[in-house]
Amino acid sequence: MIKVNHLRKTFGEGDKKLIVLDDFNAHFESGQITSIIGGSGSGKSTVLKHLIGVYKPDSGDIIIDGDPLVNSNRETLVRIRKKFGIMFQSGALFNSLTVEDNVALPLREHTELNENTIKIMVKMKLEMVGLRGAEHLKPAQLSGGMIKRIALARAIALDPKIVFYDEPSAGLDPISIGVIDKLIVDLSKKMRITSVVVTHEIPSAMRISDKIIMLYKGKIIAAGSPEEIRNSEDPRIQQFINGSPDGPIPFSKSQKDYGEELKEMRFS
Amino acid sequence: MRFFFGFIGHNAFQAWAVAENFFKEISGMYYLTRATFYCTFIEPFRGKPNKWKPIWTQMEEVGVKSTTIVFLVSFLIGVILAFQTASQLARLGALDFVGALVGVSITRELGPLMTALVMAGRVGAAFTAEMGTMKVSDEILALETMALNPVKFLITPRFIAILVMLPCLTIMADLMGILGGFLIGITTLGIDPIAYYDRSIEAMVIKDVVTGLIKSGVFAVIIVMVGSYMAFIIEGGAEKVGENTRTSVVVSMILIIIADLIFTSLFFFVT
Amino acid sequence: MKVNLHSEEKEGVVTVFIDGEFDMAASPKIRNFLAPLFHENSRSIIVDLSKVPYIDSSGIATLVEGLQWSHSKGKKFRLTQLSPTVKDVFEIARLLTVFEVFDTIEDALQGV
Repeated sequence: MIKVNHLRKTFGEGDKKLIVLDDFNAHFESGQITSIIGGSGSGKSTVLKHLIGVYKPDSGDIIIDGDPLVNSNRETLVRIRKKFGIMFQSGALFNSLTVEDNVALPLREHTELNENTIKIMVKMKLEMVGLRGAEHLKPAQLSGGMIKRIALARAIALDPKIVFYDEPSAGLDPISIGVIDKLIVDLSKKMRITSVVVTHEIPSAMRISDKIIMLYKGKIIAAGSPEEIRNSEDPRIQQFINGSPDGPIPFSKSQKDYGEELKEMRFS
Repeated sequence: MRFFFGFIGHNAFQAWAVAENFFKEISGMYYLTRATFYCTFIEPFRGKPNKWKPIWTQMEEVGVKSTTIVFLVSFLIGVILAFQTASQLARLGALDFVGALVGVSITRELGPLMTALVMAGRVGAAFTAEMGTMKVSDEILALETMALNPVKFLITPRFIAILVMLPCLTIMADLMGILGGFLIGITTLGIDPIAYYDRSIEAMVIKDVVTGLIKSGVFAVIIVMVGSYMAFIIEGGAEKVGENTRTSVVVSMILIIIADLIFTSLFFFVT
Repeated sequence: MKVNLHSEEKEGVVTVFIDGEFDMAASPKIRNFLAPLFHENSRSIIVDLSKVPYIDSSGIATLVEGLQWSHSKGKKFRLTQLSPTVKDVFEIARLLTVFEVFDTIEDALQGV
């Protein structure tokens, strides 16, 4: 469904050049849940921003459902974007609109459907995320978990073939995480939606994924089923999935030696 | 010596960076304005009509809710103008001409300008704050990924609303200003109402009102484009929204004054 | 893909045949086709979905509207010959039990 080949992205120029993504290859298959995991700064959000056509890669290509995304013109981009839904980390609901209008927005803008049909569809989508009856609330009146579920309802409003999830369980309580996880699995299995989940919640990724891609410093260090990842011998993977502070992944972001840096400090 | 050259080099580098930034902003604003014009005036004729509901909402926000402050400011400006000019004109024995002076300066200059400045503060700031908040909370990104054009969705209704409402408010401000001057003229200053009216009508020409309206159209474009641009470039968090809101008001006020100067001199030389 | 619609009336029972994908592009057309049928003097309306390879949520919503109309007019509204894929979509939406669903037209015609 989605093929990504040799994706490379750098930010900045000259000395400050930072490689955020290096030779990223992946194949997201139809009806499967693929999780991209990694620590903060590992480049996982950058992958997502490439997939939704916000960032332009330095090199490499992305093919979504047969359409090349990189360097596509406006019409192609619109056509590709109608094929996927995305659930943002913050939900990104429109605060000035009610829940109903939020979910109905893509339907009103992209289809010729009758207003009554749209209202019924909104109710169906809200039922799917278990929030039927919340139609007339404003996003400000909802809890974090509810906002994410409404965001999911909006993401699936147009019955997309692909749904991207940006940190679906970040900042939620364990029960809400469980609810969201179940929704992701249900949607992808029953509606054959291709799901791409970007997360750092290892237990949740292990539970729901068919395939896990682990990123570290912009490179793929592991890819495989949750079983394979769990049984991996790579100490970096073990450190990440066990969440231990000591290991090959340093706690400090600095590349320089601590003592050297202190000695070299200059006060002007 | 080395220090001195180093200093100059550093400053030149900084100046270059500032200039580069400036031109980047100008071109960014140009592209956004072009996109807005395209979405507002050309796309509706290519089978993508504008939706009226958001335009009405914005018209209410921009126009109807601004009437109180615009009325108050322009009325008081009329009052102040009458007072200030009266003492000077009385010395020349030309107190009757207060009406002419108030009428001309309000319709030509102060009506459009004061209305635009008030609106830059009231509406321009609101534009930046609203859309800036949407930008930082990923709502604009969400629009884009839903294949909805944020320019068409957010800027176009505001653009149409202010383009219609600012000239309307300007006319009302003109009337209120003249009314303010008139009331003070016939009461406190003791000018004969008939004389006041005659002098005013003699001095004012319809052309002044029309040029004022043309100007207010330009001011409307400045307010909405600066407000939107300052919102769309926000990266980062909430403190940036506050910062850019301030910048947006300052920049649009400066641009309004500059545009006013250009248009006034244009009308001065051309007609 | 174009969707083709036609209906047959027999003894006060209107049967609607839908041929094609019942998706967001087709739903408005199907809705406009169904709506006037509820104002005619028929007792029941049966929708034959045998030639519908795919239905999305807009299609289901359109059929729900048909259900609403049938209730307000006191008519029967039945669906028949759902393919397994279409049935799945109804099941996911948890609306299979809300409709009167029959496997064959003959069954659907019983007791209308």
